[in-house]
Amino acid sequence: MTRRAQKPKPRRAHTTVVLLRLYIVGGAPNSVQAVANLEAICQEHLKGAYQLEVVDILEHPQRALDEGVLVTPSLAKLSPRPAAKLVGNLSDKSKVILALGLGGKMQ
Amino acid sequence: MKNALPRLAKGSPEHQAIEAGEIDAIIDHASSNVILLPAARRALRELAGRPAAANLDAANEVPMANGLLAALPPAEYQYLIARFEPVTLHAGEVLQEPGAPIEYVYFPQDCVICLMASVDPQVLEVGLVGNEGMVGISLALGREVSSARALVQGAGAAFRMKAARFQQALGQCLSLQRELHRFADKKLALARQTAACNRFHAIEARLARCLLMTGDRVRLAVFFLTQACLADMLGVRRATVNAAAGLLQRRNLIRYSRGRIRILDRAGLEAAACACYTRIERLG
Repeated sequence: MTRRAQKPKPRRAHTTVVLLRLYIVGGAPNSVQAVANLEAICQEHLKGAYQLEVVDILEHPQRALDEGVLVTPSLAKLSPRPAAKLVGNLSDKSKVILALGLGGKMQ
Repeated sequence: MKNALPRLAKGSPEHQAIEAGEIDAIIDHASSNVILLPAARRALRELAGRPAAANLDAANEVPMANGLLAALPPAEYQYLIARFEPVTLHAGEVLQEPGAPIEYVYFPQDCVICLMASVDPQVLEVGLVGNEGMVGISLALGREVSSARALVQGAGAAFRMKAARFQQALGQCLSLQRELHRFADKKLALARQTAACNRFHAIEARLARCLLMTGDRVRLAVFFLTQACLADMLGVRRATVNAAAGLLQRRNLIRYSRGRIRILDRAGLEAAACACYTRIERLG
């Protein structure tokens, strides 16, 4: 029996949305810097294809405990895999790009 | 804090970041405590001592965190504040481009905006605006295009209003018109002084002036200005900024590391700054 060759399904272009969570202490110097740095990097490299949740651990201390945060500022990349974590004020742009897997072609 | 540290493995990214001064708080899971590091504690204490300007949720209660608005009679202030939108501006945001129509006017509360002129490919700081002023003064003078690039240097809160709405509101507010004309005159004097300063004064003195002016406007003991930012502001190479900052640091006037600046000796830094600093401050 001949198998009918299957037509390849047309690939629909889709943008992967990167999910990020940044744990900070609102108003503290490194946290302020981390937010600014991260937003700049995301605007440049992800061009809006990202969702950033900023968690102020002074307002939500239980979340810091539940979600295993050790220090702030602390960045967690939740999706797409692999998950990643980075601590500090994110002023080292290349480190952030590497950790988030932003170098090279975006999917 | 010392007890929480051993729980973070030595050499771990967390430990390294703490050593590098990049951490604000440690979460001690054993005791379920959040331990603020000294710099963060100081910053929060200072924030707490300031009016609620830093808290955007309390925008309705914000006392007059902008100098221009503070000078208005209560009725005019209330009229305007109902039309303003509280926003957070992020470092690196471009608010205006030269020659482009002005979209919004901004009244900073604790952010700092740098006005830049460009002689391709060079750029240069020609003005700094903080809570003593506003961005978009051209509108008040009957021009709808911006003459300079407005770049957010220090992140923070501001009030903003769409250009058309502002022009309408301005028509109703005589005191605001007066304040803005006075402000425009000050800006003109400042631009003139800055032109002379940029031409004649040594880089170290100009850098000191720049740091003092930014510190005054951002109202924090610690603020951020990367070398790239400072190089653009002063119209010099990064290496030149590095050298000048190094000199100020060796004199124990500032601590400057990874873009974070702390003014250690204010009087000393004022002495190191060119005379333009006091002249500009007197202009307000």
